[in-house]
Amino acid sequence: MQSEKVMIKRKSNNIIKFWHSYRQSLYGLIGFAILLIFIIVALFAPIISPYNPHAMKGEVLLSPSLSHLMGTDHLGRDVFSRIVYGTRVSLSVGFIAAGLSAIIGIFIGSFSGYYGGIVDEIVDKIVDTFLMIPAFFLILIIVAIFGNSIFYIMLVIGLTTWPQNARLMRAQALSLRERTFVMVARATGESNIRILFTHIIPNGIYPVLANTALQMGGAILTEAALSFLGLGDPNFVSWGKMIYQARPYMTFAWWAVVFPGIFIVLAVVSFSFIGDGLQYTFNPKLNVKQKKVSA
Amino acid sequence: MSGFVRFITRRVISIIPMVLLIVLINFFIIHLAPGNPAQIISGLEQPSQEVIKALEHRYGLDKPLVVQLGIYFKNALKGDLGYSYIYSEPVITLIKERIGATLLLTLTSAVLAFISGTLLAAWSSRYKKGILDSILSILSYVLYAMPSFWLALILILIFSSNLRWFPTAGMFNVRLSLHGFSRFGDILYHLFLPVLTLTLIQIPVYFRVTRSSIFQVSRDEYILTMTAAGLERKKIFNKYVLKNAILPSVTIFGLTLGYAITGSALVEIVFAWPGMGRLMLDAVFKRDYNLLLGIYFVLAVCICIAILLTDVFYAILDPRIRYK
Amino acid sequence: MSFMRLKNVDISYKLENTSVRAVRSFSCDIERGDIVGIVGESGSGKSTLALGIMRLLPPNASLSAETMLFDGRNILSFNQDELRKIRWKEISVVFQKAMNALSPVHKIFTQMYDVIIAHSPDTSKGKAYKMLTELFSKVNLPSKVLNMYPHELSGGMMQRVMITMSLIHNPKMIIFDEVTTALDVITQGQLLDEINRLVREFGLTAIIITHDIGVVNEVCNKVAVMYAGELLEFGKVKDVIFSPMHPYTKALVKSHPDLRIGNELIKGIPGSLPDLTDPPGGCIFYPRCDVRLDLCKSVKPEVSVLGDRIVKCHRIQR
Ligand SMILES: Nc1ncnc2c1ncn2[C@@H]1O[C@H](COP(=O)(O)OP(=O)(O)OP(=O)(O)O)[C@@H](O)[C@H]1O
Ligand SMILES: [Mg+2]
Repeated sequence: MQSEKVMIKRKSNNIIKFWHSYRQSLYGLIGFAILLIFIIVALFAPIISPYNPHAMKGEVLLSPSLSHLMGTDHLGRDVFSRIVYGTRVSLSVGFIAAGLSAIIGIFIGSFSGYYGGIVDEIVDKIVDTFLMIPAFFLILIIVAIFGNSIFYIMLVIGLTTWPQNARLMRAQALSLRERTFVMVARATGESNIRILFTHIIPNGIYPVLANTALQMGGAILTEAALSFLGLGDPNFVSWGKMIYQARPYMTFAWWAVVFPGIFIVLAVVSFSFIGDGLQYTFNPKLNVKQKKVSA
Repeated sequence: MSGFVRFITRRVISIIPMVLLIVLINFFIIHLAPGNPAQIISGLEQPSQEVIKALEHRYGLDKPLVVQLGIYFKNALKGDLGYSYIYSEPVITLIKERIGATLLLTLTSAVLAFISGTLLAAWSSRYKKGILDSILSILSYVLYAMPSFWLALILILIFSSNLRWFPTAGMFNVRLSLHGFSRFGDILYHLFLPVLTLTLIQIPVYFRVTRSSIFQVSRDEYILTMTAAGLERKKIFNKYVLKNAILPSVTIFGLTLGYAITGSALVEIVFAWPGMGRLMLDAVFKRDYNLLLGIYFVLAVCICIAILLTDVFYAILDPRIRYK
Repeated sequence: MSFMRLKNVDISYKLENTSVRAVRSFSCDIERGDIVGIVGESGSGKSTLALGIMRLLPPNASLSAETMLFDGRNILSFNQDELRKIRWKEISVVFQKAMNALSPVHKIFTQMYDVIIAHSPDTSKGKAYKMLTELFSKVNLPSKVLNMYPHELSGGMMQRVMITMSLIHNPKMIIFDEVTTALDVITQGQLLDEINRLVREFGLTAIIITHDIGVVNEVCNKVAVMYAGELLEFGKVKDVIFSPMHPYTKALVKSHPDLRIGNELIKGIPGSLPDLTDPPGGCIFYPRCDVRLDLCKSVKPEVSVLGDRIVKCHRIQR
């Protein structure tokens, strides 16, 4: 009981310390603020959106006005309300796809780096190949062949983008396994699995976390591109799909194309900012270097 | 120069497993996809029994999986990627017709992005931590986050619909049958907006990599030597800092090209550019899996070749690599 | 008038929240033709001082001094353009890390040629090639090295290339910063002989920075002993090394296998450098000194000038 308390205290201490250094990065803070707003919008979409996103009641192709902040589309649906609901799809794709990618990457990377040997070499080669060939085409093919429910899209993005994380995690595992505390753990007879989960992964996870933030943005872009090609989930409103549907009327209703795109950019930028903020926080060496340059 | 040859040989050899891996992925997709592999390869909705028999024989689909894989490998490497049912032509023929247009778009924009990203980085590094540097830095985040198809639409809205400076679609004007120099000019004219789109979305990568590399190189020992020796600042920067600082962006050129081809496919669709993007979209909607997998294979091989060429170029720039 | 006069030179590096005071109140005079050794352990500020003299300090460093005269001119007040003109033409330097001292992606000749035309823009490539070949032969380098890249050379060869480079414009003074440290003993010896010869042949004034008091004994006529950013003793080699006055110099001499007198045991000096972000108020050597007085802890010793010798120790002032 006693020791558990101490551990919890230490953990929360770490979080506070982490927050203190994260705060130093301006971009990171801005990104976090934007993301918070997006999360609130996604959670309270029914309250925030002035109209039903599927209701085709308004007049078609109305330009932005006070009653329709971002105008209406070719079916008379309120663009702003649709954007608000679209936040849900984009954020879930970002979190779930990149989260899955992180989990797979962490496992494969840490196992491969920690155990080494021939398996490690093969994994490294596969990771190399995946990193070279753009995942988008593979995702496209799989979604085209196996179906395009949103769940599927998230799954496929996660399953094709883990190699970056695996590479980062592998590098960490490779260096951590030579560190004294891991050697000690091994010498005292801790099992390999235990060492992996209590030492290697917790200590080496940081670069993966920073990369995951970037990948959340990437997943949002991928989903938007799929939707733009008409491969999005037909049951949900998404920003990419809005652009896809508005494109034929673009020359006389620019708003239906422009606004959803702005929100894609905002969301992806916020994740990039967070990713860079995290990198800044996790890599104090980088910090000092950059400070020195500025001096 | 033998070190150079050895280096290239090693790189070529290291590409081979990658190509094999891609073939492997394709093979698995064909076998996991709903439907019968012979039907997929035939490219027909309902192939007759004879066709199926013939295909099963040709691709060894009646043999064990491992043998099939071997045959699939052999065929793929020979360029036999099966038939496309929507066009009823061999996949490889269709791709050959269109790959030129795609490569024109992709390579032009990649080279332009490399050059402008590097120059912008060099320019902004002179004003580090100033207003200009911050603006460029934020701009690079925004461009990086921009979906290529959306940027393409915006550029069409501005430059074609409103200003009427550039055409919205196609690679040349089909109504005028131009020849020689004026045809070349016409293609350039049509090329402008798609290339601008793709260049803009690729610039951030090169800009950021070169910018941080310039910071790093500026602190290297040899820059101190050159300063101590009384060389002019400008000369040190243009000759010594830049050549050393572009090395990292040369390395990522090949990798970025993969990303550029993705962008190209989407941008081609927006601009009705007669390349592989359109072909791919058709394949997706008409469920022409064979064509889809063929495109994936060819693009992957193109990227491998591009990465190889990048490595050669890198080895020319950096003598150290040749002797390793 | 001395050839180079340094008075109360202070150099500090600014870090995030603190600053490292790497060199403090450094004063000494160097005459024309002097070969001055600067000895001191790692981190004592030797390279910093050299960079300060060349006015080549990184942007996070700040330099202040009462006087910094070089050949009758005040280099403290020089602007970038004036500095550019005297650098290499009148004063050049061979840096500590020779392996990284040239650009890895340019041939040696390209870089040497750029250094030549930086100050004599009309030199043709042919003439430069001939001149460099000649200089190379003085340091036993074949002329084919000119067409090679830095990574193709060994440490010793690179060091020789850098020495040649420092001689290109026939400067009045050269600073050699730990030229031999990273090399094997045999190459060290050869290189020292070459430097010894060149310095005399070119009639140079030189500063030779080293950890090794033996090197000083072999090559220099004067020596400055630095410790934690301060000059503790300065004078003729034969005085300082053979009758050291400062306890630190004594310990340094004693710890050198070739210089110790009789059969005394070789001893390291226990303890380590003080924290330079906040140097102690008294004698800088106080914590490690074996003959310290109570006074030394709180009062900084004045510099005692005894003829052409400088010592900074309370025991001497008495
Ligand atoms: N660029 C820098 N920024 C901050 N501190 C520095 C910098 N360069 C040197 N220092 C600090 O200044 C002090 C003196 O360093 P310097 O390199 O001059 O020592 P040195 O006598 O040349 O040592 P060595 O024998 O190892 O070369 C050290 O404490 C070092 O950490
Ligand atoms: Mg030094």
